[in-house]
Amino acid sequence: MIRVPMEGKVLNENEKAAAALRAEFSRHNVFVVNLIGSPGCGKTALLERTLESFDPSRRVAVLTGDIQTDADAARLARYGFPVRQITTAGACHLDARMVRNALDGWDLANLDLLFIENVGNLVCPTSYDLGEAHKIVLLSVTEGEEKPLKYPGIFFKADLMAMTKIDLLPYVPFRADVAERNARQIHPGIEIVRVSSTTGAGMEDWLRWLRAASAGLAVHFMLAGNNCRAPV
Amino acid sequence: MHEVGIAAGILDAVRKETAMRPAARAVKVGVRIGEMAGIDPESLAFCFEALVKGSDLEPLALEIHRAPADELEFVFLELEEP
Ligand SMILES: Nc1nc2c(ncn2[C@@H]2O[C@H](COP(=O)(O)OP(=O)(O)OP(=O)(O)O)[C@@H](O)[C@H]2O)c(=O)[nH]1
Ligand SMILES: [Mg+2]
Repeated sequence: MIRVPMEGKVLNENEKAAAALRAEFSRHNVFVVNLIGSPGCGKTALLERTLESFDPSRRVAVLTGDIQTDADAARLARYGFPVRQITTAGACHLDARMVRNALDGWDLANLDLLFIENVGNLVCPTSYDLGEAHKIVLLSVTEGEEKPLKYPGIFFKADLMAMTKIDLLPYVPFRADVAERNARQIHPGIEIVRVSSTTGAGMEDWLRWLRAASAGLAVHFMLAGNNCRAPV
Repeated sequence: MHEVGIAAGILDAVRKETAMRPAARAVKVGVRIGEMAGIDPESLAFCFEALVKGSDLEPLALEIHRAPADELEFVFLELEEP
């Protein structure tokens, strides 16, 4: 009997597809973020507010995943940017192949920024790499501040936590600082922004994060808003 | 839920590894799985067993080592050589 060392990550089919997507995004300089959060935490609302703030000339697109309906795509399409719905017909997450299929016919050379809204779920999407540059976890203030401790996987893997619906803070017994401390206990380096898609509070912080995170790429998208303009 | 895919990925890699040593038979494969990897070791062991059963790799065993972060990687392969 001999024992030989074996190296490398355990790659399943998804990871192979995700690696191919990542190479494609990088070849075309597309900055991709994967938004993950529980059902109703405000993923579509944040994207709506974000698209609304963009100049129409920006080369931005959205893929939005749900188990059923194209309701979210219909909401997002109102801003004039290309939007496609992915319906998973039961699956609780998007996988890399669904993303690849949904991109069919889009010329990535014409895109600088791609938002992927995952299926509302704090668990399953965590394990499926979509070739994105960053996972972003959304936590709304009505969900409870212990969520990072209960669902550590996504808080560990996300580079940014967006605390959403902060306009509701006066009405719910949610301690924002405790929620942030919990997230940092799981992932000390996680960045955090607090936003409200209803009032627009914190949007500059979110847009600033997007701009900084994509700074390494030669992206041309410009973020509207005072003191928030990226060099073209 | 996605442990089946992970188990299939392990078997693929073992096949690739043994293809280079046609005379040897794979006996046991070791993997390291982090607490944050989103993989349930028991469920992985269950899926692994189900996939191995009746396959060309039967009776391959799986040894799981735990780790603190999101590791999901191979450690070793044990081979029986004629
Ligand atoms: N008060 C308040 N409500 C919000 C905010 N953002 C979203 N909502 C509301 O929360 C509900 C869910 O918002 P969505 O944007 O649809 O949430 P989602 O995460 O996209 O939901 P799924 O795609 O179904 O998982 C809607 O009724 C929104 O109007 C916010 O900042 N403040
Ligand atoms: Mg939505």
